[in-house]
Amino acid sequence: MSLSSRMVIVLTSVGLISGALLSTVGILTKERIALNKQLEIENAIITVVQGTHTSEIIYEEKDLVVYGSKDENNQLIGFAVYASGTGFQDKIILMYGTNPTFTKIYRLTILEQKETPGLGAKITDKDAFLQFWENKDSSQPLTLRKPAARSPEELSPFEVNTITGATISSESVLNIVRLSLGKLMSLKKEGKLGNEE
Amino acid sequence: MPPRTIGEEFTKGLWHENPIFRQLLGMCPTLAVTNAVINGIAMGLATTFVLIFSSIVVSSIKKLIPNQVRIASYIVVIATFVTMADRFLAAFFPLISKDLGPYVPLIVVNCIILGRQEAFSSKNSVGRSFIDALGMSAGFILALLILSSIREILGAGTFLGHQFLGSWFEPWVIMILPPGAFITLGILIALTFVIEHKIKQRR
Repeated sequence: MSLSSRMVIVLTSVGLISGALLSTVGILTKERIALNKQLEIENAIITVVQGTHTSEIIYEEKDLVVYGSKDENNQLIGFAVYASGTGFQDKIILMYGTNPTFTKIYRLTILEQKETPGLGAKITDKDAFLQFWENKDSSQPLTLRKPAARSPEELSPFEVNTITGATISSESVLNIVRLSLGKLMSLKKEGKLGNEE
Repeated sequence: MPPRTIGEEFTKGLWHENPIFRQLLGMCPTLAVTNAVINGIAMGLATTFVLIFSSIVVSSIKKLIPNQVRIASYIVVIATFVTMADRFLAAFFPLISKDLGPYVPLIVVNCIILGRQEAFSSKNSVGRSFIDALGMSAGFILALLILSSIREILGAGTFLGHQFLGSWFEPWVIMILPPGAFITLGILIALTFVIEHKIKQRR
């Protein structure tokens, strides 16, 4: 057999075998990976709108998904908002819970981020960042507290905290929330969020 | 030089030919993921899986592969195992998979793996290649463990996420940032050279 035909045969068979192996692994893990994603979203909804019994998507567009959260009596208790935007390094994907009129933010959680470890990445830390986002009044535009407050009690209801050394990451999170809230208000005016009452 | 014993084949990866400290291979994942011990361990294990299986496959098909297409074939074999490891982590360890991000797919271009195929598995038996891969992986994990322990303890005051140093300790944030990786690795490499030098002098 000539060298070139041997080369073609070897490369083709190596490619075919690895292709077959990979499609098998792909099929075997596909469901589980999708399930992980779904579980992550469900857990996040329960975290940001506590008392959620069931939730469903009521609005969806690129980078913004709104889940309506209902309690055991099928009463709407709030919305879980999945939003994303640019951080310091890369995209930040987060979820926050609001009351049905968007005047209060219950809680915030970060789903994905690639901020600087030890600095911007603290946006995922409860003590350093997330606790300062609990029960905020969003009937007015939220502002950033700088220099950082040490405890949530020091902040006014309209203020959220900065992480020392990671102002841009803290600001990015605030911007994502602000922009998506603005968008939600206009969607609500247009009646695109359904009849929640 | 007499052929190495099986034991020597294994231990060479730990010290004399340690992929990180002596051969300076696989620097990219070494520097990037050693900001926390758990990430270092996960990267070490994923690389071990890829290295062992690629070495077994490459050493068993070495005679069939024409010399001209050997690198291409090795890369396809390596990429297959890397993708399998990546999917496995995403399916069963989603949190670790998220933390390691793009560095798992990048194992494909980790020079330790291609380097071992080219320098060892393509010339040795399946058994020896397996032992070699095992030793190199152990050396790699050991290096990542040392590096990530130093960086996590000094950079965050924690070890494996648990508080290690008291509240008096102000974390050196630089240690978990890229410069901390270069500084720590540089010092460790220098140390291994000093120790090696001392050992040689004694002989």
